[in-house]
Amino acid sequence: MAIELLGYRGWRGDLRSPWMACWPIVRSGLSLVLRRKIFWVLLALGLLNFLFTFAIIYIKAQLAVENPGFAKFLDSVKVTGTGEAYLDFMFAQGTVTMLLLAFAGSQLIGSDYHQGGLSFYLSRRMERRHYVSAKLLAIEAIVLLITTVPALVLYVEYGLLSNSLDYFRENPRILFGILGYGLIMAVVLSLLLAAIASWVPRAVPLVMTWSCIFILLPIVGEHMRNIRDNRIWRLLSLWRDLRTLGKWCFGSLNLERDEDRLAYWAAWIVPAVCLICLIVLVRKVRAVEVVR
Amino acid sequence: MIQSIAKSPTSSGVDSPLVTRHSSLAPLVEFREVSKWYGPVIGVNEVSFELGAGITGLLGANGAGKTTLIKLLAGQLRPSLGEVSVCGVRAWSAAAKSHVGYCPDVDAFYEEMSGRAFVRTMARLHGFDRRAAQERTEAALAEVGMLDRADRRLRGYSKGMRQRIKLAQALVHDPDIIVVDEPLNGIDPVGRRELMELFRSLTSRGKTLLVSSHILDEMDTLADRVLFMGRGRLLASGTLKEIRDMLDNYPLHVRINSDRARDLASRIVHWELVRGVEVRGTDELWLQVHRPSEFFPRFTNLVVDEGFEIERLQTTDASAGAIFDYVMKEAAHF
Repeated sequence: MAIELLGYRGWRGDLRSPWMACWPIVRSGLSLVLRRKIFWVLLALGLLNFLFTFAIIYIKAQLAVENPGFAKFLDSVKVTGTGEAYLDFMFAQGTVTMLLLAFAGSQLIGSDYHQGGLSFYLSRRMERRHYVSAKLLAIEAIVLLITTVPALVLYVEYGLLSNSLDYFRENPRILFGILGYGLIMAVVLSLLLAAIASWVPRAVPLVMTWSCIFILLPIVGEHMRNIRDNRIWRLLSLWRDLRTLGKWCFGSLNLERDEDRLAYWAAWIVPAVCLICLIVLVRKVRAVEVVR
Repeated sequence: MIQSIAKSPTSSGVDSPLVTRHSSLAPLVEFREVSKWYGPVIGVNEVSFELGAGITGLLGANGAGKTTLIKLLAGQLRPSLGEVSVCGVRAWSAAAKSHVGYCPDVDAFYEEMSGRAFVRTMARLHGFDRRAAQERTEAALAEVGMLDRADRRLRGYSKGMRQRIKLAQALVHDPDIIVVDEPLNGIDPVGRRELMELFRSLTSRGKTLLVSSHILDEMDTLADRVLFMGRGRLLASGTLKEIRDMLDNYPLHVRINSDRARDLASRIVHWELVRGVEVRGTDELWLQVHRPSEFFPRFTNLVVDEGFEIERLQTTDASAGAIFDYVMKEAAHF
């Protein structure tokens, strides 16, 4: 039907900056993940862990005054309001996130390369850097929603249910730790997933590659440490390196412990991995594959 | 003449004789000695042309460089050499992409989205705010005839409906130039006709279309001018008539039915424009003519002056397909 007959008028206005295009991509990515029932299992696992911890904090706050012994019992499940407790919580949530990303990566990123959807994005009023940034933000949003946001909720809950609000004043490093560890996990996992998915866009190879990095490499590292009796091999475990950096964020590094002495190495390795992933990703954002 | 058809513009910037310029209007798209290669593979080789108003067909065999050329225009690739400009700015800048709507040949959607949601998302990616994106989405869907079916999920769409949604997302930001890659592939004849009418209605509103297609027969009626590509080079550019006129090595075949075919043959056999005459049966004449733009007026005058009755006058190798074959044969010499 002729468009003039329908009374539509031409639009006269200012287009928003191409950076604003990031939000629709993030939103589409989140809805892609949340819409799939298969991911609900993993999300439910993360939610269960959060609700359990939430409940424990509440119960502890209610019963600690009346029954200090019971409160000590609850401390054995590591709900102590210390940096270590939040670190362990975020580590557990991060594990769930890692599993989720392994399966969601092909949906979020891989399909753009495998099925040619990249053409649609790059035909918009945006450039490669906007597309790359938006996709990284989409993955980071998922990571933060599962790890950092629940940890922040627990932090606020613990503080509000404690005897006074001095908890917040006395433990500022915890807030820094939650935000810092969450940011490190979000950035590293997003770059790693985006780079891997751009090279192996299909689901099964992506899961296998992801498993190699987070399961096989740590096993190899552990065996090599035993064989060579050198703890430096533990650095092969990227997940452990991230946890070490998280400990630094929470201020709970103990340099007398073996694994914590690797913190300086981890502080170099993690940025190097990020840089490599970024280079790989930028090179792969092309609309046409080389003819073979 | 053969050389002028197969040769790309020289480095001194002289256009091929087959490149015609639209008068008065500044070119919306300009390719200036553009080359693009991927490692050892050359996709596009020293291509220069300008796009003006109307529908331009981009024709070529597989691997000719059509998709590379389209993606250079749509700003998805940067040229290795040369310059591609859209409305005076570099094609890969965000400003240029405001003027270009790209309808790719790939069929890659978020299948669980509805058509409306997909087009609206594309509008938001373009920079429209929420209300403007909604309005533009409705306008684009109305233009492609998908308003009443846009709420279904993309996975349930037919090939033709998916093609329309692709067009809608290309039109949502009201671009000046619309680039369509293989739009008629896999579409039934009714759908093709509807799409072609849509393309014409777009050009009647002042849009410029570049349509890439393998379906040469339909380019005859659709395209105002064509670009023939082969092995990464621009082999010929212009209207079909202009290109056909220049193919001197391949005289135009004309079939004429007349009750006085032999008389007619005897009158025109000595013309310098007529290379060959063949009489078949009692009323059928087959001619091979040079410079058809000179031949036909002269032939018309003869028919009128001498009172010949012409029952049929038909050119048998002036179609896009025939011209494409001739151009490719010429290109094989270089």
